[in-house]
Amino acid sequence: MGIYRRLLGLGLAALFALPGVVNAQGRQISGTVTRKAGGGPVAEAVVAVVGTANSTRTDAQGKFTVEAPAGQVRLTVRAIGFTRSDALVSGSQATVNFSLDQDVFKLDEVVVSGQVTTVERRNSTTSIGYVSGEDLTKVASPTIEGALYGKLAGVNIQGNGGAPGGGMQMQIRGNNTILGAFDPLFVVDGVIYSNARVLGGRSTIDNGASVLEDDPANRLADINPADIASIEVLKGAAAAAIYGSKAASGVVVIKTIRGAAGATRVNVSQRVGTFDLMRKYEARVYANAAAAVTSHGANAGTYLASNSLTPYNHYEQVWGKNRVSYETVADVSGGTETTKYFMSATTKRDNAIEPGTGFSRQALRVNVDQTLGSKVEISVSSVFNRADHARGWGNNCNNYACYGYALAYIPSYIDLRKRADGSYVNPSSGGGVASNPLQTAEFSRNQAETYRFTGGTTITYKAFTNEKQSLRFVASGGADLFNQNDELWSPNDLFYEASQSRPGTSIQNNGKSRQMNWNVSGIHNFRSGGLGLTTSAGVQYEDRRLLTSRITTDNLVPGQQNVNQGTNVVVGQTLTPERTFAVYGQEDIQMFDDRLLVTVGARAERSSANGDIGKYFVYPRVSGKYSFRDLIGAGSEFKLRASYGELGNQPNFGNKFTVLGTPQFGGQNGFAVGTVAGDPNIEPERVKEVEAGFDLNLASGRVNLDVTAFRRRTTNLLLSRTPAPSTGFTSQIINGGQISNKGIEVVLGLVPIQGRNLSWTSSTSLSVVRSNVDSLPVPPFRPPGSGFGGLGVLFIEQGKSLTRKFGPTFNEAGVLEQTDLGDTNPDFRLGFTNSVTYKSVNIAMTVDWQSGGVVTNLTQLLYDDGQTAVDFGTQAYTDRWDGPRSFAVGGSVGPYIESASFLKLRELSVNWGLPKSVTQALGIGAREARLGLTGRDLFWSTPYTGLDPEVSNFGSAAIRSAVDVTPYPPSRSVFFNVAISF
Amino acid sequence: MTNTRILTTLGLGALVFTAACSDKHYDILNTNAPTVEQLTGAPSKAILARAALGSAANMNADLGGEMSFFAIFGREGYNLLGNDPRLTQEMLRGPLEAGGFGGANFQGKFIALRTINTYLASIDAAADMTAAEKAASKGFGQTLKAVLFHRLIVRNGVLGTPIRVDADLNAEPAPFVSQANTYAYLVALLDSAKTNLLAGGAAFPFLTPPGFETANTPAAFLRFNRAYAAKVHVHRATLANAGNSSYSAALTALGESFVNSAGSLTDGVYYAFSTASGEPNNPITEGLAAQRFYIHPSLVTGAQLKGNGQPDDRRTSKVTLATGDGANRVTGGLTGTHKPTMFNTSAGAADLGADVAIIRNEELILLRAEANWFAGSKQAAIDDINTVRTRAGGLGPVALTVGSTNDQFITALMYERTYSLLWEQGTRWVDARRFGKTSTLPIDRAGDVIFPNMLILAAECDARGLTVPCTPPVQ
Repeated sequence: MGIYRRLLGLGLAALFALPGVVNAQGRQISGTVTRKAGGGPVAEAVVAVVGTANSTRTDAQGKFTVEAPAGQVRLTVRAIGFTRSDALVSGSQATVNFSLDQDVFKLDEVVVSGQVTTVERRNSTTSIGYVSGEDLTKVASPTIEGALYGKLAGVNIQGNGGAPGGGMQMQIRGNNTILGAFDPLFVVDGVIYSNARVLGGRSTIDNGASVLEDDPANRLADINPADIASIEVLKGAAAAAIYGSKAASGVVVIKTIRGAAGATRVNVSQRVGTFDLMRKYEARVYANAAAAVTSHGANAGTYLASNSLTPYNHYEQVWGKNRVSYETVADVSGGTETTKYFMSATTKRDNAIEPGTGFSRQALRVNVDQTLGSKVEISVSSVFNRADHARGWGNNCNNYACYGYALAYIPSYIDLRKRADGSYVNPSSGGGVASNPLQTAEFSRNQAETYRFTGGTTITYKAFTNEKQSLRFVASGGADLFNQNDELWSPNDLFYEASQSRPGTSIQNNGKSRQMNWNVSGIHNFRSGGLGLTTSAGVQYEDRRLLTSRITTDNLVPGQQNVNQGTNVVVGQTLTPERTFAVYGQEDIQMFDDRLLVTVGARAERSSANGDIGKYFVYPRVSGKYSFRDLIGAGSEFKLRASYGELGNQPNFGNKFTVLGTPQFGGQNGFAVGTVAGDPNIEPERVKEVEAGFDLNLASGRVNLDVTAFRRRTTNLLLSRTPAPSTGFTSQIINGGQISNKGIEVVLGLVPIQGRNLSWTSSTSLSVVRSNVDSLPVPPFRPPGSGFGGLGVLFIEQGKSLTRKFGPTFNEAGVLEQTDLGDTNPDFRLGFTNSVTYKSVNIAMTVDWQSGGVVTNLTQLLYDDGQTAVDFGTQAYTDRWDGPRSFAVGGSVGPYIESASFLKLRELSVNWGLPKSVTQALGIGAREARLGLTGRDLFWSTPYTGLDPEVSNFGSAAIRSAVDVTPYPPSRSVFFNVAISF
Repeated sequence: MTNTRILTTLGLGALVFTAACSDKHYDILNTNAPTVEQLTGAPSKAILARAALGSAANMNADLGGEMSFFAIFGREGYNLLGNDPRLTQEMLRGPLEAGGFGGANFQGKFIALRTINTYLASIDAAADMTAAEKAASKGFGQTLKAVLFHRLIVRNGVLGTPIRVDADLNAEPAPFVSQANTYAYLVALLDSAKTNLLAGGAAFPFLTPPGFETANTPAAFLRFNRAYAAKVHVHRATLANAGNSSYSAALTALGESFVNSAGSLTDGVYYAFSTASGEPNNPITEGLAAQRFYIHPSLVTGAQLKGNGQPDDRRTSKVTLATGDGANRVTGGLTGTHKPTMFNTSAGAADLGADVAIIRNEELILLRAEANWFAGSKQAAIDDINTVRTRAGGLGPVALTVGSTNDQFITALMYERTYSLLWEQGTRWVDARRFGKTSTLPIDRAGDVIFPNMLILAAECDARGLTVPCTPPVQ
């Protein structure tokens, strides 16, 4: 029996070996891939035979077998999270094993190099920022921008205030427009993702100076950081040119986690923590009732006749609560060689420091990759989100609805807390203003609820593959849809509403966004020896629209929120559609065994936003790199790179139109030519950038230095000109002028210790950028949201920085003059991250240092005006407010211009991986379990006397004005987390 | 079968691709508001009707500013609100600032003119309008345009005004045209409008705009056109070297206008205001306790007396003692005791719905008096003046004879015009300038002056590369 079986086995083996026999020159090489630290197997590693199209993946045990031609060949092994390794295999050698180093600096991660082409960062011809998902989620962050602080060079992340759930801005390489779109383009799994800020209408209720003070969250808040596999930031024009006229401010490419073949994996993590008021204004202490009467009038006397002078800290009363916040994330992934999936669900709730405010998000994601036969692959990504923002009442307002603003005018002896009978004190009875923030918090509403679906598909068809060439076609597309509904209600019995002419306001606001994009590309690969040619070309179509509508009703019936229940109903609606069609092509040339890489490409596109909708605007790029290997020690690599690229920035919707006003006359609407003249020939702004730099990798990958310098110019700016008044137009949209930004980015990665039990990695990133207005065909002007006149404003003037503040202050001679007050742009920004691992314990921290820049502290000005400043009556107060060269006397805003420098400990985390014995003892079949304690913003150091120098009363803007007007105060957070993997 | 599938797929792909490539797909209109292309393309009658209404709605541009500024310049009154020191400084003694009050009330009329010019340029392109309807529309638009340019030349005086303001926005700014040439242009424009209105058929192709109820057909509108033409002729006549031919032309025009000695003095065409939601409000009216506008003391005390010893009825009805917080207001050394109440209710309350005359019968009778006097029909002139004195003021006959001097006549005429048109269009200032009588206007404080005209807006100088304040070269 046994002999037959053996014979049969041999026969079968011979049968299966047949193809190898037929391919007279072929052979098989097999082996195992393991990790150097710890020695475990590396699954899903790609093993390829250099110079051929042959490759395979390792199985769960790290084993592989690959077909190879006869004779000596070179094998390379790549795996996510590990550095690439290669080995020469002689003609007689049938096995080879690899031991991979951890890719600490992510040099072997594959990043975007074209619309459908990728390249390892190590070989990239441009500077591309990269953050892995793991680095994003170490410390809980409400939104992804918060988790990126200090981790990217050339990316300036600034918060607008402390309100929960976002309201942040990413600026890549300076300010590249004045009136055009200023956000980077966000692309999630190939789908163009809206980061719109839908204004809710708060400034209508609180009587703000401008709608820019609505302080909306930006919709990037919908992304669940735990779903993210990687974030790539295409900073330079050459890198971003593939995105054409939406990429002038850079591109952020986000990829979500995908499933891997193998056993089903389940991860569950639970975070519980709290937010805590970071900084506060101290209460003024009154010497006696007479002092209070002097400052706050007769009401103070009446009030103090029956109340004590005991000071209360109102910041503690309003923002002193530490409430429980939580985040639960669970995911399941796995699959077979043909079907791979990743599913995740999350729910989080940040209960913020201000009563009634918070942020919650729920998301359900399903990503599936399916192979059909040997030629077709289909990838599907889909996520459904719900987000709920309650952001309270912050920033500037002129009717004291906003908490911080009101507190500046409420003396400290008034106890704002709810009284035993359930009522609140009206601070005006004690000499303050008629507004009690705690009453407002209990009865008002400012909430935005958003539902969002984002889904995309990529279909890859491998038409043809042989040893030297391959041809594939990729079709991908998707849609990003959201609906944000804002409900704002300021009931008419709130103290500040009583004095309104039509008390009580209710707003129903809606923002509906739809973005779709698809592209079809062909990619041809040719490889022979050291030469590689990749030719790609394709077409792309993008369709975006945002519809906002609002109903505002005031003079409400008491107790009613319904917008029907008032007398004065105002409705509005705005639709901003845009369509783009593009054709692109690119050639990547690799020579000298990948040492030289040159990329040449261009994108031509037309858009409905342009005056000439038929005209194709061409955005070219050319970039190259050359690597010197083993120049500074064996294994070292020194890479020189340079690039040039051009980008566009589309005109804003409506720039090409001159609208007709519809004045009402006799109960009918007439037509009257509007006073803003559009330009029917309007063109995109054009960014041209030269970037050059080098990367140095030595000491076995333990030192990595990346230095990049760039100079970018924006020409053909969108500007507003004042034509002769006799034309009947007050302004005219034109193209013209030039601004420029230049800067340096340095990233130094170090692995000071790399041992079996102890390792330490560190990364420092430095960003410096300077702007200049090169030419301006219009008189100097204030950009949108520039500040408050007379209190220091941004002022765009030829030959000056874009971010200069300009306003009244005293010069040396004691003469009040309009002059430069400083620059909001910091001298530099430096990020410093460290991670130390000892056995199963990891301690990590991220420090974010901004040096220089100015901020206008109008919060202090309000406190001084309200005579509630803690230093009231001191010399410092007099110098600021009512001395001979102060604001109240001379009009000088100088004393309120402060340094915006800060050093913030953004992240601090301690994670402990439970030993196997413990996880097994738990008896729940856990493969791995971790405990962690994480903190965000635990420590700050800043010379700024206000709350947070990282603030913008006017929200996100092309040029941020850095004005501080009683924002939602900043908070720090601490979370405890448990993560278990099965 | 497989081929069919491939073909179908390719076909669908081609369809999508074609759709993505067609120009129409990228020609996205602005759906948030109508755009000017709807007017300049091939407009329909309905769209042009809206533009006609919009043109009429814009006529009140700058109106409140003109009424109050001209009243202050001509010492019909003051603004004593005191929230801006320039109200009693720059406004009364100068220097006028081209970027401040001196340049005010300039641009609004050009904004209105942009609409009217766009409207006029689009009429011929309408496919669904008859020749008569087009002619009527043009006559309407041209007449409104003439009113706006006339108000501009009254404001600017010797500085002239740009006329060819319908040029492309990117062209050089329209050249300034001298005062004399502007009047010649206005006469020609109104005559062209007359020709068009005569060919305009029985009805306008749009609803009658508010304020134009008495001019609701081309024929009736022609009477308004001629009334305004008479005003233009009379104003032109008082320019140096304009000659008496303008007065006879004025009389001809008046003969074709709605002037009627026996008719209601308020018959006419108006800038319409309303208290209804969304409608424009009267820009001047305010209650007796308000602290803004006051009547100049010279007009409080300077009214002639009726036979019963009571003052002129026009003084009684249009000048009312301020009350409450408004009483005896002193600002900048000036005292206000009485409020202008010509736009108030009979009870003295503000009336935001009170219309303001573009031109009305009472003014026409006084224009006829002036034209008759200087054209030689002096008794007819005296009769006209007496008509107004009797009917509007309850006064006895004027102390003029056919033997009176021109100067005596002008003085008498200016009295009537000032009280009849009080605070409506700055008549006292305009007449003092026309007749060279600025020195007769009261000066309250040493250093105060009477301005000859307002200034060209600073931005207009800037756009022409001229130093502010500027006197642009005129054609």
